Amino acid sequence: MPNKIDTKFSNNNRVNEILEVIYAFARLDFNKKVAISGDDDALDGIGTGVNMLGEELNHSSVTLREKEQLLKEIHHRVKNNLQIVSSLLSLQSESVEDARYLNMIRESKNRINSMALVHEMLYKSKDLNKVELKEYIQRLSQSLVSSFSTERDNVAMQLTVGENIFLEIDKMIPVGLILNELISNSFKYAFTTPEKNEIKIFLIRAGDLLKLEVSDNGKGIDEAKGKSTSLGLQLIRMLSEQLNGTCIFRNDNGAKFELIFPL
Amino acid sequence: MRVPEYATEVKKYFTWMGEDGICCTKVKEGSEIVLEDALENTSVVTSFYKDKKFPIMIDARGIKSMSREARNHFSARGRDSKTNSFGIIVKSPISRVVGNFFLGISKPSVPTKLFETEDEAKAWLKNFI
Repeated sequence: MPNKIDTKFSNNNRVNEILEVIYAFARLDFNKKVAISGDDDALDGIGTGVNMLGEELNHSSVTLREKEQLLKEIHHRVKNNLQIVSSLLSLQSESVEDARYLNMIRESKNRINSMALVHEMLYKSKDLNKVELKEYIQRLSQSLVSSFSTERDNVAMQLTVGENIFLEIDKMIPVGLILNELISNSFKYAFTTPEKNEIKIFLIRAGDLLKLEVSDNGKGIDEAKGKSTSLGLQLIRMLSEQLNGTCIFRNDNGAKFELIFPL
Repeated sequence: MRVPEYATEVKKYFTWMGEDGICCTKVKEGSEIVLEDALENTSVVTSFYKDKKFPIMIDARGIKSMSREARNHFSARGRDSKTNSFGIIVKSPISRVVGNFFLGISKPSVPTKLFETEDEAKAWLKNFI
């Protein structure tokens, strides 16, 4: 018959073994198991419970990884499908000669690309949930500069965007579309001289609010407003509402748009 | 739980149909139940089915462990089970833990209750005959 000291020593070992298994779980290693002595005492009960929890945690982490993989795939496919639509529009534009229709096709392509970029950044991101605004704005701006480069290659883009500002997809898509409309409008209507043309994008976070300003040093909003498509302006107002934001257009040595919305 | 002579014996269980219409299954002492054992047990239990589903009393006091796959199988979710209720007898710390996991996490698809004695389990299971 084991004496008290032996039993205590043995129980201490068993407790330590259970702790080792819990430490392994904390490191997401669910392969470790507590050895069950067969005494069917309280420590065996605890060990059995820990083992079963490990199995459940392992299953949950596998399920979570599978879901992440699926989400990644969905974003990838959405991006690809949007790019296919954009390519189809490009193909269609080859048979179009009317400048008005070519312009409309380009506007649609740029809108689609601004959304595709969100999905592309999402499936490449770590958490599959949020997009970093600075990188998005840089890439969208580059894409628009390239889209308008044939007719206007003399516009400087100046970006002042706060670091580490992340938006979820339901906010990122409207913000992307708003930026796309505003930058496109400046490219199309703002500038009358070939030199010193500038588009500035300013975005900062103030507590739970984001402030976005897009401005240019062109001829100002009234003239530009008359020439811009009503769809573009309607879209900007509608998307600002969707963000629960307030927006204003005004003139300040050119056209200036301001939008404040909650994160 | 006394095992009658006519009980069917498989690797980890004794199983039989009682005269009162309650199916009984007893886990052998120190059994570590995996999916294969669960399937073997179900096969025996199903052989008692004629035209009416029946309750089952499970004596789990001798159990040492039960894998997640086995628990999920016994939960009868997503399969055509011939049983309409589970009365599980638990006593030892291990059987209590396994029983509670089965109830809480595996979520059996039929009414299930844990008991400490055979009499209590039978009294409840009679409601499902």
